[in-house]
Amino acid sequence: MIDKETLPRLPVDQAEWNALEAEFGPRMWAVARAFGLSAADAADAVQAAWLRLVESIDRIRDPARIGAWLVTTTRHEALLLCRKGRAVTPTHSPPEPGEADAGDPALAVLSADEARRLWRAVDALDEPCRTLLRLLVTAPESGYARIAARLGLPIGSVGPMRGRCLGRLRKLVEAER
Amino acid sequence: MSEFDEAYLLAALRLGAGVDPAPLAVSAAARAAYALLLPGAVTARPVPVSRPAGARSPAEPRLHRFAAPDATIDVELTHADGRIDVAGQVTGGPWDEGPGRIEIRTLHDRWVRFPTETGHFAATGLPVGWLSVVWYRAGLPAVATRWMNTRRLDEADD
Repeated sequence: MIDKETLPRLPVDQAEWNALEAEFGPRMWAVARAFGLSAADAADAVQAAWLRLVESIDRIRDPARIGAWLVTTTRHEALLLCRKGRAVTPTHSPPEPGEADAGDPALAVLSADEARRLWRAVDALDEPCRTLLRLLVTAPESGYARIAARLGLPIGSVGPMRGRCLGRLRKLVEAER
Repeated sequence: MSEFDEAYLLAALRLGAGVDPAPLAVSAAARAAYALLLPGAVTARPVPVSRPAGARSPAEPRLHRFAAPDATIDVELTHADGRIDVAGQVTGGPWDEGPGRIEIRTLHDRWVRFPTETGHFAATGLPVGWLSVVWYRAGLPAVATRWMNTRRLDEADD
C-alpha cells in the first residue's frame, strides 16, 4: 500500500533514489499503460514524472507523500499525452508537491494485496467481462477491434462494456470488504 | 465510474498479473535522473508566448519562455536534420558580475555557454529529447527551466 511508505524522507543519495524508483517505478509504468499509452508514450510519461520530481524536490515538505505524488504526476502526464495525441506543450503545470493525497483511495488499489483481490474478483465475473478484462490487461495493445472480434461483439460496444465490467469489478471488490 | 478509477483498476490488475513490466531502459532513465538534481536551484516556469497566426513549418524556430523571480529565459528551438539547434536569451536580475554561465542539459550531456553582453547564447546539433537550460550567476541561485521534451514540442500547439 502506498500509505505504508518505506521511504519516510526525501532521497538524499543515489541509493535512496534507486529505492524510490524500485518502490514506485512499476506502479508509475502500470498507471501510464493503463491509460492506453504505447510503450514509447508511457516511457515519456514516466520520465516526465521523474523530471518533475527533479524540479520540485526542494519544495516537497512531506516526504511521506512523495510516492503518491509520483503516481499522481505520472497520471497527469499520461492524460496530457492521451488528450493531445502525441503533442505536449511546455506550458502545462504538474501537480504541486503538496497536492498529492497519500490517502487517495484510487492510489490504494496499487498494491500487491489489492491486485490479488482484484484478480479473484475478475475470476468471479460473468462473461464477457471476465475475458474482456483479461484481454485488456494482458494484451493492452491488441486494440478494441481485435478484442471485439475475439468476443464476437460490435467494436463500438467494447468501450462501454469495458466501463460496465470495471464497474462490476469494483462493486465485487467493495462487497468483499 | 471515473476515467481515473478505471485506469487505476487496470493498472492494479496489470501489476498483479506481472505482465508488461516497466522496461529496464525506463527504470534506468528514472534512476539516472538523480544526477540531474540541482539543489537550491530555482525552477523557471513556462509562460505563454504569442505566436504569429497562420501555418508554420515544423522546421521553423519555436520560442519558449520560462520565468522565475528576477529571471527570464527564452529558448528558441529549431529542428534540423534530426537534431535540435538552441538559441536563447537570459534577462533580468543584477548583472554586476556579468551575464554568468549557461548550461544546456539533456539527460546524458551538457553544453556550457557564456552569454553575450545582451544575454544571448546558442548551441547546435543537440539530440532530440529532454532538455533544460540552467543559468548560473555569481552570488545568486541557479535558475533552471522546466524540462521539456523536444521530441514532442515540434508537434505541439498546431
